Amino acid sequence: MLPLAHVSHWLWVLYLPPVLIVLGSIVRTTLAERRRRD
Amino acid sequence: MTLLPYAHALLARQDLPIPEWLFAWGASIVLIVSFFALSVAWREPRFEEERWRPLGAGLSRALLGLPAQILCGAIGVFLLGVAVYAGLRGTEAPDRNFALTFVFVTVWLGFPVLSVLLGDVFRPFNPWRAIGRAVGGTFGALAGQRPAHLAYPEALGRWPAAIGLLAFVWLEVVYGPSGGVAVGLSPQTTAVAALAYSGYTLAMIALFGTEKWCERGEVFSVYFGMFAQLGAFGARDGRLGLRRPFSAATRWATVPGSAAVVIASIASTSFDGAQEGAFQGAIESVIDWFLDIGLGAVAAERVADTLFMLLCFGGVWLIYMLGVRGMASVGGAPSVQRLRSGFAHTLIPIALAYLVAHYFSLFVFQEQAQFTYLLSDPLGTASTDLFGTASGGIDFRILSANAIWYVQVGALVIGHVIALTLAHDRAVAYWGDYRQAARSQYWMLAVMVAFTCFGLYLLSVANG
Repeated sequence: MLPLAHVSHWLWVLYLPPVLIVLGSIVRTTLAERRRRD
Repeated sequence: MTLLPYAHALLARQDLPIPEWLFAWGASIVLIVSFFALSVAWREPRFEEERWRPLGAGLSRALLGLPAQILCGAIGVFLLGVAVYAGLRGTEAPDRNFALTFVFVTVWLGFPVLSVLLGDVFRPFNPWRAIGRAVGGTFGALAGQRPAHLAYPEALGRWPAAIGLLAFVWLEVVYGPSGGVAVGLSPQTTAVAALAYSGYTLAMIALFGTEKWCERGEVFSVYFGMFAQLGAFGARDGRLGLRRPFSAATRWATVPGSAAVVIASIASTSFDGAQEGAFQGAIESVIDWFLDIGLGAVAAERVADTLFMLLCFGGVWLIYMLGVRGMASVGGAPSVQRLRSGFAHTLIPIALAYLVAHYFSLFVFQEQAQFTYLLSDPLGTASTDLFGTASGGIDFRILSANAIWYVQVGALVIGHVIALTLAHDRAVAYWGDYRQAARSQYWMLAVMVAFTCFGLYLLSVANG
């Protein structure tokens, strides 16, 4: 049996990816632009 | 005693087509697509000018003239009096007493939406403004001169209203033990708080003048007036007119402390949503810690709740400032200070979205009580039946749990898309070049996606 009794406590993790994807894209774009400028 | 519902947690949702967390992904995709559409197609600022045009002079006279002002002011003072009297003399049961639902639901949640739709409608009904104007007018007639006031310290800006807003919500959600009812504050406390606030407001009006204090420090005027900036109706020089929706908001935040008002609104709604959901476990741990160091049970709960409420304020402020700092790093950016005040108005639609999303169901349920038994029996003592509706009740079947969820998701998505649009529009005005403006808005996109996902998470936990 998997210990899933408290799985709902970790559902918040599923709300993070969109924020992380957008933040990651911003950082990547900013760094790429900075490299191009240099 | 009939118990009223919590804002949330009334019914479990069933048969949603996708899991709740996937709605956050969907909402984020909507925001990202909107962002790219704005980047490509929105090349000129469109909200910087109000394009105000007057409505008919007769309509303006009827709605803004002295007789209407006196009538609305008298209604405002009368209703404040009824609320205070009901609080002091009525039943102690919060859900049967007119005072609580009237102040915390009908007024506090009703006026923001009314203000967006119809303009600054609280202004004529504001009881303290009405009293201030009546006293000022009487003084002028007797003394033959206008009352002298102190100059308002402009550096204070709207900070008194921001602090007052937090204090008002604190009174409701921290000081008042919920006890399973919609608003758990005791009616007596509400009445005493209303009297204390009236004394404070009238003193400030005497010091700084009615209109000045209502524009800067009077919590309800500033708060409802903020939402009125989003709407199409606005008065100018005593004349009612139509303007481009959202355009008035672009100038609202130039006064210091305005960002704090809108952030306080988002933070207090977030805290109310999270208090019995997402933050519950953490708050309980902190309460235990305070109990261990010797604080009493009530004090420990209040101190812990206060800390988390301030944490919410700090968290929302931090996310916003990250967006501002990010924008400042883009070439050609104005100063951080200008960016901070220049983009604060973009948070107003988010504050409204949070308000609708968190309290929509509470409002629909409680207004049934307001316009049935609370109106006919304001004291809740079963001694009056003024309109023959004292035996009325709340029909909870009027909204399904799924309908509430869809309204919540819809409100958050629409609010954030409008916020994104306002931010892009302001960026085009600041940067001039729309490509550079779009680049600066990567950061605001992150802010909007973060607020959307956080909001949906809070709602999913509170509803679950």
